[in-house]
Amino acid sequence: MSGLLLAFLPDIQTICSCRSFWALLVGSVGLWLAMPQRIRYGNTIGGVLGIVALGLFASDWPKLFPWTDQAVFWLISAVTIIAAVATISSQSPVYCAIWFALSLLGTAGLFFFNGAEFLGVATVVVYAGAIVVTFLFVIMLASPAGHASYDRLSWGWFGRTASVFAAAAIVGILTMLLGTLKEQAIVKQREQTAATTVATLSKSHSTEPGRIAAKAAKPIKVFGSEDHMANLGKVLFSQHLISVEVAGTLLLAALVGAISIAIHGKRRLETRVEEALRQDAATAEARA
Amino acid sequence: MPAHGVCRRQTQKMIPALIKIGILIGGLMTAAAYFVLLERRMAAWIQDRIGPNRVGVPLSLFGFKDLALWGFGQPAADGLKFIFKEEYTPAHVDKRLYVIAPIVILAAALAIFAVIPFGSMLPPLDDFGIPTGGDPVQLVVAPGVDVGMIFVFALSSIAVYGVILGGWASNNKYSFLGGLRSSAQLIAYELPMGLGILGVVLAAGSLNLEKIMQAQVNGPWFAIAQPLGFLVFVIAAFAEAARLPFDLPEAEQELIGGYHTEYAGMKLLLFLVAEFLHMITASFLIVILFLGGWHFPWITGPADAEIGWLTAIIRLIVFNTKIFLVIVFFMMVRWSWPRFRYDQLMSLAWKIMLPLGLVNFVAVAVMQEARHALGSKAENLGWTLMVIVFSWGICIAAWVVAAWFNPLITDNRPRRMLATAEVDSQI
Repeated sequence: MSGLLLAFLPDIQTICSCRSFWALLVGSVGLWLAMPQRIRYGNTIGGVLGIVALGLFASDWPKLFPWTDQAVFWLISAVTIIAAVATISSQSPVYCAIWFALSLLGTAGLFFFNGAEFLGVATVVVYAGAIVVTFLFVIMLASPAGHASYDRLSWGWFGRTASVFAAAAIVGILTMLLGTLKEQAIVKQREQTAATTVATLSKSHSTEPGRIAAKAAKPIKVFGSEDHMANLGKVLFSQHLISVEVAGTLLLAALVGAISIAIHGKRRLETRVEEALRQDAATAEARA
Repeated sequence: MPAHGVCRRQTQKMIPALIKIGILIGGLMTAAAYFVLLERRMAAWIQDRIGPNRVGVPLSLFGFKDLALWGFGQPAADGLKFIFKEEYTPAHVDKRLYVIAPIVILAAALAIFAVIPFGSMLPPLDDFGIPTGGDPVQLVVAPGVDVGMIFVFALSSIAVYGVILGGWASNNKYSFLGGLRSSAQLIAYELPMGLGILGVVLAAGSLNLEKIMQAQVNGPWFAIAQPLGFLVFVIAAFAEAARLPFDLPEAEQELIGGYHTEYAGMKLLLFLVAEFLHMITASFLIVILFLGGWHFPWITGPADAEIGWLTAIIRLIVFNTKIFLVIVFFMMVRWSWPRFRYDQLMSLAWKIMLPLGLVNFVAVAVMQEARHALGSKAENLGWTLMVIVFSWGICIAAWVVAAWFNPLITDNRPRRMLATAEVDSQI
């Protein structure tokens, strides 16, 4: 962790001694090898490198407290990352969609793990349950043989390499930023705990400032509380009311647009039925 | 010390949870097996036959006379037959997805029961050597999940994967058609189902299934207070469970066996058990959301008092009796209704169920707002009666309007030229 923090400084030595950096490098090489292309044993070597990278990455992060938490966290994140890599490295579009769904389930699991129950469940309902199923429909109907014609399209080595290393750079920057934020949060929490202790100590003398400090230091528990959903609803419909309404209106507009595209240029069924029947009667009459 | 304390607290949570999971999975699997027998016996009863009544305890193996026991050995015989059948995998299937599909559907169907209560609660079990910390034992695997209802929804949408993958991996046109029909049906009926639930959630003020049951202990059952929502939910639940008026995914006359045409042996068993579990889940939800859960007037006690063993057992019996009756209702409907045609199914979902669900939702919202406006004046019997009368009025009015502008009516006049017009309209 300290290596990570120091990596902010433009110092080659610290960057080289940071395990996350090497993890990213090895991981991106592994990802590049695992992409669908004609390299012998590319998938196997890429997979091995990816696992090494995951191990290196995991060793650089702070440990969670009871070992069960740690095990669950590592399991879910490994599933998520491996499924995400498999999404872009498998050849058949159907398998891509399935792996994508699995990686979304893993993400939902991580949300659950952190106590954001609603976010986790909403991820499953919206993404895994609705969007990916729609993808799956389209893919299955469009390319039942497993390989679509666009699979033969070659983007060349440059695009693939550039995208893999750009992704690695983004992950690296995010890791550094979030790592710093996490460190700051830990420091802040430590200060807060100290303040609470002081407050409780001074509370025995029942002085006014002590009580105020105790009130201020008490952390507001949003996630994992009894009324998690009610609190979330309150926040959404008071502080973020306009964003919610705008998003709702946007979705309504999209819905109306989709329907208008679907019925574009088509007359109503009843009209067509009436017309067909009239024509039918006319033909019968003419024949008579 | 802290490490030790955390570990012990976790063990304290783990052991009851594991016991509950064991009871649930064992109970559900056995229940599914015996409900198959019940379904066959009921089918026989409705069609004036006798049904399977021979397989009992095979005592003739030990030289005694066989015990018939009204066919209670039939589920075991069926299960053994499925297990010992040849695990035949056709050559033309996509092997991996073909294996995964039944696992996905069964896992999703079982995981739903993590948040569904199967009773009220038991008194503390510390006397029996199970560390519960002196708290009453909630009869649900994961107690206090605040998003329980959406969790159920999320996992039932995962079940679509099992169906659609099973249909596609079989590489068979009938299977694929069954899978597509089923997923379209499940997605279409999720909307009215959600609207039916929304009314209940609004009235109870929580998504937690235990709290929804408690709200019905204190007020009227939601089946009485929101008859329209109840109707919409029950019909949508039939569609979600793919029970007979809505069993198009496996309409035998059109699609052989639907998405599980190519399956045999254990994998087919997984599909069939998952389908039965969907029906059992639907019955649990109907009872929990609309029929008061474990509550029955006068005999089950108040919701938030200390619970004794007698009350606990009465509540368990009431709850399970209700679920049993709802399942029997499911089975009776199966032999009383013809199957819908596909376009009728879709029209019913989008043109009748969806508007009715919206009407119910708005009515419930209006009533809740009125209750808030009245404040403490609304906490009496007169108000409750008024709510019930109002919602029944809304229900009857909406039903009459839906029947008046009936979009399900089909033109059955002789047609020749009509064929093209109708084919176009289906697309």
